Amino acid sequence: MSILELKDVHKDFSGLKVLFGINLALEQGERHAIIGPNGAGKSTIFNLITGKYTPSRGKIFYKGEDITGHPPYKVARLGLARSFQITNIFRTMTVFENVRNAILAKNRVCFHIFSRLAKMDGIEEETERLLAQIGLLERKNELAGELAHGHQRSLEVGLTLASDPELILLDEPTAGMSTEETLEAIKLIDRVTKGKTLVVVEHDMEVVFSLADKITVIYYGKVLASGPPEEIRDNQQVKDAYLGEEKK
Amino acid sequence: MKKSSFRRLALALAVLVLLLIAPHTLTILQIRMVNEIAYFALFAVSFNFLFGYAGLLSFGHATFFGLGAYTAALTLKHIAGMPLLLSIVMAGLVGAIGGAIIGFFCVRRKGAYFALLTLAFNQFLWAIAWKWREVTGGEDGIGRIVPQGSINLGILSIDPTKVEGMYYLTIAVVCLCLALGWYITQTPFGNTVKAIKVNEERPLFLGYNVHLAKLFIFTFSAFLAAIAGSLFALFQDFVATSSIDLAMSTQVLFMAFLGGTGSFFGPILGAAIYVYFTDWVSSLTDRWEFILGVLFILLVLYFHRGFIGLIPKKLKEALVSEKSS
Amino acid sequence: MEIYFIQFLHGLVYGMLLFLVASGLTLVFGMMDILNIAHAGFYMLGAYIGYTIVTMTGNFWLALIVAPVAMGLLGSLVEQYFLKKVHMHGHAFELLITFGVFFVIGEVVKWVWGTFPRPVDVPSSLAGSIHFMGITYPVYRFFILFFSFIILAVLAFVFLKTRIGFVIRAAVSDAQMVGALGINVPRLFLYVFSGGAALAGLAGVVAGPFLSTYPGMGLDMMVDLFVVVVIGGFGSLLGAFLASLMIGELQSFGILFIPQLALVFQFLLMAAVLISRPAGLFGEKV
Repeated sequence: MSILELKDVHKDFSGLKVLFGINLALEQGERHAIIGPNGAGKSTIFNLITGKYTPSRGKIFYKGEDITGHPPYKVARLGLARSFQITNIFRTMTVFENVRNAILAKNRVCFHIFSRLAKMDGIEEETERLLAQIGLLERKNELAGELAHGHQRSLEVGLTLASDPELILLDEPTAGMSTEETLEAIKLIDRVTKGKTLVVVEHDMEVVFSLADKITVIYYGKVLASGPPEEIRDNQQVKDAYLGEEKK
Repeated sequence: MKKSSFRRLALALAVLVLLLIAPHTLTILQIRMVNEIAYFALFAVSFNFLFGYAGLLSFGHATFFGLGAYTAALTLKHIAGMPLLLSIVMAGLVGAIGGAIIGFFCVRRKGAYFALLTLAFNQFLWAIAWKWREVTGGEDGIGRIVPQGSINLGILSIDPTKVEGMYYLTIAVVCLCLALGWYITQTPFGNTVKAIKVNEERPLFLGYNVHLAKLFIFTFSAFLAAIAGSLFALFQDFVATSSIDLAMSTQVLFMAFLGGTGSFFGPILGAAIYVYFTDWVSSLTDRWEFILGVLFILLVLYFHRGFIGLIPKKLKEALVSEKSS
Repeated sequence: MEIYFIQFLHGLVYGMLLFLVASGLTLVFGMMDILNIAHAGFYMLGAYIGYTIVTMTGNFWLALIVAPVAMGLLGSLVEQYFLKKVHMHGHAFELLITFGVFFVIGEVVKWVWGTFPRPVDVPSSLAGSIHFMGITYPVYRFFILFFSFIILAVLAFVFLKTRIGFVIRAAVSDAQMVGALGINVPRLFLYVFSGGAALAGLAGVVAGPFLSTYPGMGLDMMVDLFVVVVIGGFGSLLGAFLASLMIGELQSFGILFIPQLALVFQFLLMAAVLISRPAGLFGEKV
């Protein structure tokens, strides 16, 4: 059974049709990259999977369960986590508080009123552990909004991973990064997503070919091709689509 | 960590002691003023749970203040032998229920939409209070609410028909509620509310049921406001549509802003300044509301952190160690 | 039968008046994401200025010019010196400052003109009633209808046929984009905001002889405005138009059939819309 399945998913926004019958199936542990020109619908697919939008038609299944139309928090609690293309952190809170927010959610204590936060040692430990994993432990008391871009991206990834998700969706994780930062990011992503299922939307082909087992190309709301990297690399349609776009 | 909470506790105890011995050194008028400040402080803090903590601006918070006031009045008037303390509890409950119902409709929306919805509901309930004369007495209201007799708590006895008795009752209830409120801000739920204000979207994807969190804080805020309202009704020994009208909603907004919405204590300071100031200015001129309005505009333009922003940062942090936003 | 027609006309008159005021509000919201609470204050102040001019000079037409100009000026002051300054602190502060302005306008009105209603005389040229399709109806109310339709036609023309109208519509849709295309967006905001204020002031003058001037008229209008914008959708002129007419008619007939509920009628309607269609009937921005 596939861990994630999109069956004939369509999406239109008040007349503007963005996705035309997307079919996608992911196996557990797979590392899947979604590529395609801008505006092709890649982020929309993410938003549909994670519940921000509801498909106009079609269904989405997670581990066999129909999650079509589930609100984002329900999807998150099932074990899917996503990162954002534009860093979506708690800017006026410290790095520590940022990660703690995620850890609190993971431990399902969002509505807890029977103990004081400062006294919850388990939470504090878990938070510090994750901070160490993403390399931000020394910066834990800095304001998230004042971090350098690269560190903000690490925090972004950290928030995504905090819930210990089974399926991780990363939306252009290396956007705006230098070559060095990108290499570091690839290593980090590789390390932290071991054994989990990963879906990455990316433009940087370096990242795609380093990480992915399977690539799906989205072109104007439709799946153009889907398969292992070598296949995609040699696919004439894909080449035409991409090179055609670049020539424009 | 431990040092600052010890300091905070010491400060709280000092204030409490001051409040307890105050009636012996103040005039009757002054005691009544502190009484007024107390329940308005609770009202303003309840407002700030919505605005300062959750980022929800309400233009109709008097709805719950009024619900509490009317509940206290009506239960005392129509239920024979109704204990005073129970009427306050009932007020809180009715406020909470009202908060849950109205909150359900309001919290689905954001910003301006939310603000105007709260205003619309406020106007709606005001209209009902105004029209339903048989129950609420309309504009003329309900008078002589406080029953004769003291409240007996074993070793203590408080007579709310006396100025001092009402004072102690108010202080006790308000301090209890403020302590509860403060405690909530220190819990994971309190953190949830703060996080939602900072970033509306991310918590959703982390697994927070943002909508429900907003509903809970709205209900809690309504609960506190209603208790404040009941104390108001008891203090005045009178309830009318003035407890639930736009002027009352505006007043609590001004109070919270005056003090500073970036902290827990700001609105308390704001209530104190507001009560004292309006008392003073209204004795000088009839146009005090106009002056208030102009001051409010100036506050929003130039001084939006409120008066609590005047306290030197170091002193604030040493005493309270709470970050303002 | 006649009574229904009369009520229908009442509803139409009030509905058109409501639309005159609501149009500025909904445009400003659509473009600038600001719900101007002071808007109802501009309406009220315009009505009172109208009252003063009519009482002092007897010239209604003069009032029709002075009040909108005055409100336009006030609007531009509010936009330039208050809204702009507060913009960086976020929408809550914009709401608060417009709320503050509304409050101060209310106090100024009470100060200058007192707390009792001040009826405005209908201009002599528009006095009396005419016989029309079997009923007798005041001339002045026909004037309101006629005048509103002219304004509506002008607005529609400006919007649909002129370049500035096109730019405004584009800005309602995406102000940032319009700015990137070289349009001076801050100046545009200023014009639309003051224009809306002027229109509200104009509606106030026209409303004077019809509804009389009283200190609560700002709040009454604000509540109706809110219901209109909720039902019609934030930012939609067409929605505001249809919703205004709907509110006008519903209130008119509501008072006829169930007078006890008249006060709460609009709220029930609003609640119904809120439950069924959160984004209103036409708007997208919630």
